[in-house]
Amino acid sequence: MYPAPIEAYFAPRTIDGALQCRAEAGDDAMFIAGGMSLMQAMKARLATPRALIDLNEVEELSGLAKGPRGVTVRPLTRYRELAVTTALHGALQAIGDAASTVGDRQVRNAGTIGGSLCWNYVASCMPNVCLCLDATLVLASLERGERGVPINEFLIGPLETARRDDELLVEINFPASKVYGVGSAYRKYGGTVDGLPIVGIAALIEVDETGLCTDARFSVGGILPTARRFDGVGDALLGRSGTPAAFVEAASAAADAIETQTDHLASAHYRKVLIRTLGRDVLAEAHARATGG
Amino acid sequence: MSAAVETGWIGRSLERREDARLLTGRGEYLADVRVSDCLHVCFVRSSHAHARIKDIRLDAALEIPGVVGAITGAELSREIQGQKIPVLIPAFPAKYRQYWPLAVDEVYWHGEPLAAIVAKDKYVAEDAAAAVEIDYEPLPVVTDAEVALREDSPRVYDDWDSNEIFGTSYTGGFEADQIAKNDAEVEALFAQADVVLRQRFRTQRCGVCPIETRGALAIWSETDGLTVHLTTQRPHIERLALADLLELSTAEVRVVAPRDQGGGFGVKAPFYREHVVVCHLARKLGRPVRWIETREEHLMTVSQERDQIHDLEIAADREGRILALRNRGIGDVGDGRQGVYWGFVMPSLGSVMLPNAYGIRHADIKLRCAVTNKACMSPSRSFGALPTRFALERGLDMLARKLGLETAALKRRNLVTEFPFISVTGVHHDSGNYVKAWDKLVESVDLPGFRALQEEARASGRYIGIGFACGAEFSGIPSDVLVPLENQPGYGVVTMRIDPRGKIAIHEGDAPQGQSHETTMAQVAADAFGIHPDDVSVRHGDTGTTPLSSGTIGARGASYTVAAIAEAAAALKAKMARYMIHDHGLEGATADDFSFRGGAVIYEKDGNIRREFAALADRIVMGSINLPAGEDPGLEHTAYFEAPKPMICFTAQAAKVEVDIETGQFTILDYATCEDVGTVINPIVVEGQVQGGVVQGMSNAMFEEFLYDENGQQLTADFENYRLASAADVPNVTVGHSPTPCPDHPLGVRAVGEGRPGPVPGALANAICDALAPFGVESTTLPLKPEMILALIEAGRAGNGG
Amino acid sequence: MEKTITVTVNGTAYTRTVPLRLLLVDFIRDECGLTGTHIGCTYEGRCGACTVQIEGRAHKSCMKLAVQADGKEITTIEGLGSRDNLHRLQQAFSRYHALQCGFCTSGILMNAVDFLNENINPSEAEVRRALVGNLCRCTGYSHIVEAILAASATRHGLKPVPPPAETEPPP
Ligand SMILES: Cc1cc2nc3c(=O)[nH]c(=O)nc-3n(C[C@H](O)[C@H](O)[C@H](O)COP(=O)(O)OP(=O)(O)OC[C@H]3O[C@@H](n4cnc5c(N)ncnc54)[C@H](O)[C@@H]3O)c2cc1C
Repeated sequence: MYPAPIEAYFAPRTIDGALQCRAEAGDDAMFIAGGMSLMQAMKARLATPRALIDLNEVEELSGLAKGPRGVTVRPLTRYRELAVTTALHGALQAIGDAASTVGDRQVRNAGTIGGSLCWNYVASCMPNVCLCLDATLVLASLERGERGVPINEFLIGPLETARRDDELLVEINFPASKVYGVGSAYRKYGGTVDGLPIVGIAALIEVDETGLCTDARFSVGGILPTARRFDGVGDALLGRSGTPAAFVEAASAAADAIETQTDHLASAHYRKVLIRTLGRDVLAEAHARATGG
Repeated sequence: MSAAVETGWIGRSLERREDARLLTGRGEYLADVRVSDCLHVCFVRSSHAHARIKDIRLDAALEIPGVVGAITGAELSREIQGQKIPVLIPAFPAKYRQYWPLAVDEVYWHGEPLAAIVAKDKYVAEDAAAAVEIDYEPLPVVTDAEVALREDSPRVYDDWDSNEIFGTSYTGGFEADQIAKNDAEVEALFAQADVVLRQRFRTQRCGVCPIETRGALAIWSETDGLTVHLTTQRPHIERLALADLLELSTAEVRVVAPRDQGGGFGVKAPFYREHVVVCHLARKLGRPVRWIETREEHLMTVSQERDQIHDLEIAADREGRILALRNRGIGDVGDGRQGVYWGFVMPSLGSVMLPNAYGIRHADIKLRCAVTNKACMSPSRSFGALPTRFALERGLDMLARKLGLETAALKRRNLVTEFPFISVTGVHHDSGNYVKAWDKLVESVDLPGFRALQEEARASGRYIGIGFACGAEFSGIPSDVLVPLENQPGYGVVTMRIDPRGKIAIHEGDAPQGQSHETTMAQVAADAFGIHPDDVSVRHGDTGTTPLSSGTIGARGASYTVAAIAEAAAALKAKMARYMIHDHGLEGATADDFSFRGGAVIYEKDGNIRREFAALADRIVMGSINLPAGEDPGLEHTAYFEAPKPMICFTAQAAKVEVDIETGQFTILDYATCEDVGTVINPIVVEGQVQGGVVQGMSNAMFEEFLYDENGQQLTADFENYRLASAADVPNVTVGHSPTPCPDHPLGVRAVGEGRPGPVPGALANAICDALAPFGVESTTLPLKPEMILALIEAGRAGNGG
Repeated sequence: MEKTITVTVNGTAYTRTVPLRLLLVDFIRDECGLTGTHIGCTYEGRCGACTVQIEGRAHKSCMKLAVQADGKEITTIEGLGSRDNLHRLQQAFSRYHALQCGFCTSGILMNAVDFLNENINPSEAEVRRALVGNLCRCTGYSHIVEAILAASATRHGLKPVPPPAETEPPP
């Protein structure tokens, strides 16, 4: 299984350079980051780009930065770095949970958060996590400049996003949050250890000084058409202290409400079982982190 | 001569001879063989499960620069023989259908090759294959063996009166009236039994795909004919078949199984259609041609075994003694067209092996095999027997629960205790002490302690369980069995050559794929001659230099081939002794008066009479004057070993698991075996064989499943969808021993290569059901998907009134 | 559709003009003639047999194009240790019989060396998880895990996991 012929290959060093290359290469061009999804697709000839613009030499697309308005994760940051960085604490711990369980070591050495978002495969982790954490994505193109897109508008369907073909994802911004009293977590069930998620759950919980829940977010991946938030969890938890019973109730509400699909990996019913059980555990973990427990 | 060591090479965990090259990236696998000017083949495969081929247009493909040629089935069928040739057909009555390696007129499964492209570059070959245009007329598809066996089912082959390719009874005898009489006797026992268990068991389509896929590299020479490097476990059989199919003299065909092969596990045993196409193209084009299978092709076409259903009935008394067994098996053999095995040979042997290890004296066992629009069933380690083992081991646990007995005790009560024992299906159990091995296993897992823990755990809402299973597996396959089964000899054979420097070369016609022959066989020879294993080399797989043998299958290495080494060594030692007697004037001395140790041949009655091993070899090979009367010069011997009856290797296995009752997910806490492998040549190699086999069984039981949709489209042709266990999915496997030397083997060895995966699914499922006994869970299908387990828990809860 | 690239493999610079679509694994095998890096899955990047180190990190070389390695330093199994000077992990693999057919071994070694650089004294569970990207069909993994644990301990002057008794036949 080999890629179809490729006519042009560019390895720009800057964002501007990458956008220039894109303009020069024209319509059948694709960006390539870690290649962990695109190379699969190219070898199966599901993707047949005429030109490739390799982002791996663009240093400014990589790394994390903390500012007053929150944390910026650049799209080329690899899972390996996300798994070990100390910059993602508090509200952003779910990113580390996900990054450290994606695929395997070699995949984590190469794969990037931006690539995962732009690919938006059903069985993936980062779109789900970023949805839970209210990320805003910055897309840049030569013609239209930059625009910010909230993650819920970005994720559209299987292998489909709001990104236009000529747009480069340049930033993933997470809103500022308090340092204490907030925690997030992510877990998935993939059949095999670290396998692609049949269901993945991300959750964030914020508590006040008295331990009452002031924010609760919950999102589910592994379901069609794309990762989805379930706000009913907030309804079940807000203003309450986090108890095991409350987490069970909230996760069950999510399982009941969210439509799931049947495929050869799991039935719609079993996906609901996973949402309920994983959901409860992830809520408990996010809560424990929020309360320093 | 290397550092001389006393005898005693057998039984040591020597580091392997193979490792130095494999660890440094200098292995010699098929894809590594270098030839210049080599062309590459890419097969065009059917996108339909059953269709008439209306048209194949190659023009667009042929126009791509770099494409050298292309061939379709119709063309090929005019140029070579069809695949139905005697050397590829078992001696059973079955429907053997003529076919060509590329489909002619009709395709019968998704993935069947129907054309081949040859190009200068493998990338271009794939471009061209994608450019081939085919018009199909879809035909009705059948993908379920039970449906296929119904009278009103669509036919896979429209000129067959039914889809049944093979069916037989394994008990009672060969004549209909004998069988009927036996069936009636069995029925009478069922009528009298205290308890009867009736259950259907189903094993999914899966197998043991090796990490190296298949491949062939064919080189044609006007002078020497065909030389083909092939991923194969049986080069000599391939050679005969290729000669017949290509209408060449056998003198013109040399098959070389590469020195290193990346696993085989039975998958590289059949004669596959792609091989002959590659060879034919090399001859036709007069240039070397290579094909390396992609993983997708592999998972679409081979490694698919296990697909069987068993309606098992066990009649027993109150103490759990088995009175009789009845089984109706169904095998789903796919298209049933594949050299040597034809899909049904595996389920057939599975039925033969069904009652193994247990002293069952009455049974009625029958099997029907159906063709379907799926890839042909091809062998995988534990050859046909994993499904029947699963059925029996699970069935006995269910029986124990019915009777309120401890399953380990019930199984122990039924083990074979008197040897030799011939099973109801005719399997000869040579010797052993199964009860002893069983007891050792049960002791090692501390059954009473575990039961106590289990009680405690349940009290706190945790569900742990223990499960047992065993197997009595062939240790090599004698000609008695193999000739009728596959029309091939079972004997072990080696040619052993001692050179004037005292170095020993062993040539075997088998073709191992990781079984450590170079190490263990050198140990055996070194032990016999009292020299260092480094002075022994083992060469295999090249039909140009090795004696004809039927290949690395059925755990033949340590059983038959090693036995042949022992016999060749004995013959050559006797000859060397005769030279000693002659040269030293030791009238009246016999071979037994000489010992071979420390790199010397020593006359035991007078230690001063000794010769360095190499000096004696030089004397015999080079100094060919003054010979003993009637003696030949030279030190070369080809020995054949044939065991009188099958030799058997026993394994007992135990799993401990913990099940999460909310999700049905489970963790294997512990896995232990107790093996009777007789004399152990290299303990760490044996341990590796057992661990590998057990984890294959786990991976089959937990994750692997080939799925076809209702149109016969294969959904699982990559490792994301056909999942194998990784290191993180399985526990360490502890291997214990309880050896009883095999009396029919010159060194007492029993071989472990084949059977180890077989008992694993039973042991795992038994452990799960034991953990979930409070819910009355009895799982009867594989794989052990958490979702299925959860459904059983939920059904159990509903049945218990919540 | 072609590009001239220079890739340093095991310290040797290979300058070749290659098709843009050439996979790195084929560059290593066919252009550099280093056939110790194997191919086991051909597109999904799951089996790990083709694992090499790029700039010291384990990567599956079937999931990269050769042109992406232009100017990079690659280490393959052939660069890890030689017959006479085996890397301690190679030694441990032989000692613990951590390979049978050997086809997955190169990839496992190249991944494990990177892993041990990152985690100097891992637990058994950590070793098993580090191996998720390398499928092995022969060994059942037990001996591989033992060998890696043994090599990691040796490195720190800790008492190595005792080697299997060479002369002791089973009881
Ligand atoms: C064996 C294996 C196991 C895996 N397991 C998991 C798992 O458990 N969970 C999981 O979530 N994923 C898993 N994946 C997928 C993995 O997460 C991929 O890394 C990820 O989906 C893609 O990221 P990438 O950097 O490799 O992107 P690429 O494959 O390079 O690109 C993906 C897509 O994104 C586009 N793109 C990339 N970067 C940008 C950018 N900055 N701007 C615009 N477009 C861009 C590309 O053009 C392409 O269309 C697995 C992959 C493999 C091979």
